[in-house]
Amino acid sequence: MNSSIKALHQRLQQKEISCVALVQEKLDLLNSSTYNSSNYILEEYALKLAKKVDQKLADNETIGLLEGIPFGVKDVYLLQGTYSSASSDFLRNYKSPYTATAIQKLLDAGAIPIVKENCDSFGHGSSSENTVFGAVKNAIDQNKVAGGSSGGSAVNVAKNFTTFSIGGDTGGSIRQPAGYNNVYGLKPTYGKISRYGLMAYASSTDCVGPIAQNLEDIQIVLNTMSGLDYRDQTTLVSEPVSDESLSRPLAQGTKIGYYKNFIESDALSPTIKADFKAMIAKLEAEGMEIVPLDFFDASILVSTYYALAMAETASNLARLDGTNYGVRETGKDLKEGYSITRSENFTAETKRRIVGGNQVLSQGHSEEIYNKAQQLRQQISHHFDEDFKKVDVVLSPVTPNPVPEIGNNLKNPMTMYLSDAYTVGFSLGGLPTLTAPLAMETGVQITAAKKQEAILFTCANFLKQVV
Amino acid sequence: MGKEMTLDVLSSIKGAKASQVVDDLFEVIKKGHIIDNSPSNYSNLNAVSIDNLRPDEVIKSTELERNLIIENFPNEKNGFLVVPKVIEE
Repeated sequence: MNSSIKALHQRLQQKEISCVALVQEKLDLLNSSTYNSSNYILEEYALKLAKKVDQKLADNETIGLLEGIPFGVKDVYLLQGTYSSASSDFLRNYKSPYTATAIQKLLDAGAIPIVKENCDSFGHGSSSENTVFGAVKNAIDQNKVAGGSSGGSAVNVAKNFTTFSIGGDTGGSIRQPAGYNNVYGLKPTYGKISRYGLMAYASSTDCVGPIAQNLEDIQIVLNTMSGLDYRDQTTLVSEPVSDESLSRPLAQGTKIGYYKNFIESDALSPTIKADFKAMIAKLEAEGMEIVPLDFFDASILVSTYYALAMAETASNLARLDGTNYGVRETGKDLKEGYSITRSENFTAETKRRIVGGNQVLSQGHSEEIYNKAQQLRQQISHHFDEDFKKVDVVLSPVTPNPVPEIGNNLKNPMTMYLSDAYTVGFSLGGLPTLTAPLAMETGVQITAAKKQEAILFTCANFLKQVV
Repeated sequence: MGKEMTLDVLSSIKGAKASQVVDDLFEVIKKGHIIDNSPSNYSNLNAVSIDNLRPDEVIKSTELERNLIIENFPNEKNGFLVVPKVIEE
């Protein structure tokens, strides 16, 4: 049994361990951690829920698969009555008035949230260094970054501080930290999981997704959180991913595509390039049909994504002015009050993105940048539609380079933006994409057409056996 | 009206200015090539169709939710939100 959830469930059900002991063990690990992966540890909250599970077990009631399983939540999701800071000074003391739909579904299934996890402030970053809670350290090498923006979530899973964690992915924020910390991370099809209660970064690409140590746990959590939500009208009718998707072999002759320009790029690390080519050779030897594909230049993908994401975040964060919640600083008049509040309580990177977003939306620029970026996005989506008529999945590296050291990303924002080159395109297309910690130092990214999550699991399972 | 809004006013951030790194990203867009026969439909947009909007209805929040909203007020008096004074310019 690979599933940590199923293994823990069995131990709980057979009373080999109490739920309180299980939760306390994880809380102790989080409390003594030196990784900066946690913003708020939910000790009282979690133990209260654990006691209820133990009572059910004492009464010989059966418990559900997720009942009593401790998990982590990126600190951009609302969980009623707990702090939700988005790793910002602005919301450091903000208490969630309600619970995000995705998290509520896990609570309804009996899973126990034990920690609000450190991340880049409002999702603005690719290293989890843009946070007021201290840079998150990589699970494998503490001198390196955790990746981002869901860095704390990936580290907590990798270190086994949580059984699984819920990250958020706008342009790669689940897939890249999953790759950096050697765990699985899934960005589902846009709309598969409700965004209600997720603090919005770029609403048109924001996705909720699981991070876990194995495919089975990703499947269980994905199926629990998916589905239509009255409170998020962009949600889709959703089919669960079947158990067979994880056990069936990948059919001989499956068409596996890859983007030639990603692999031939001089910006790609020689080691990652060699490892990718070796993986493709093995797949071909196993009888898969390899299809090289043309794609947009990485600079177009990154620029289109950032132009749109900055525009959306400028609009989404306009509500943070200190009037209704969060920090309020006073000035000589209303406008100065807003200005001081926002200047003093957003980080430098968040301010850069807000200003960039307002620039792109302002008169004169909106036509030549924002509208054109929207047209480019349409072309990218159309390109994907055509590609997935030719192939079943597309494989790519998660990142062009190995995991960087802490301290370099924020000094050079362009390097940080370009590190997203291989993830942002799939976000613009709204496609399901899975990072599997296989084949390359930062993992392999498996992408399918919209709503085709099942083949990601079949393909990842196959890759696990052959590479 | 007609007065140009500077970035610091638009962003409500003191001294906000365009940054070189963001300008470099935008330059790539400006030079980007739009294919003439690109699809004109917007079926791929992640947006809700106006034919499929939910009813416009009021849903009352719980007492706990209301209390937490009040707890989050930056300035509160007798259970009411104290808003900054608005001065007309």
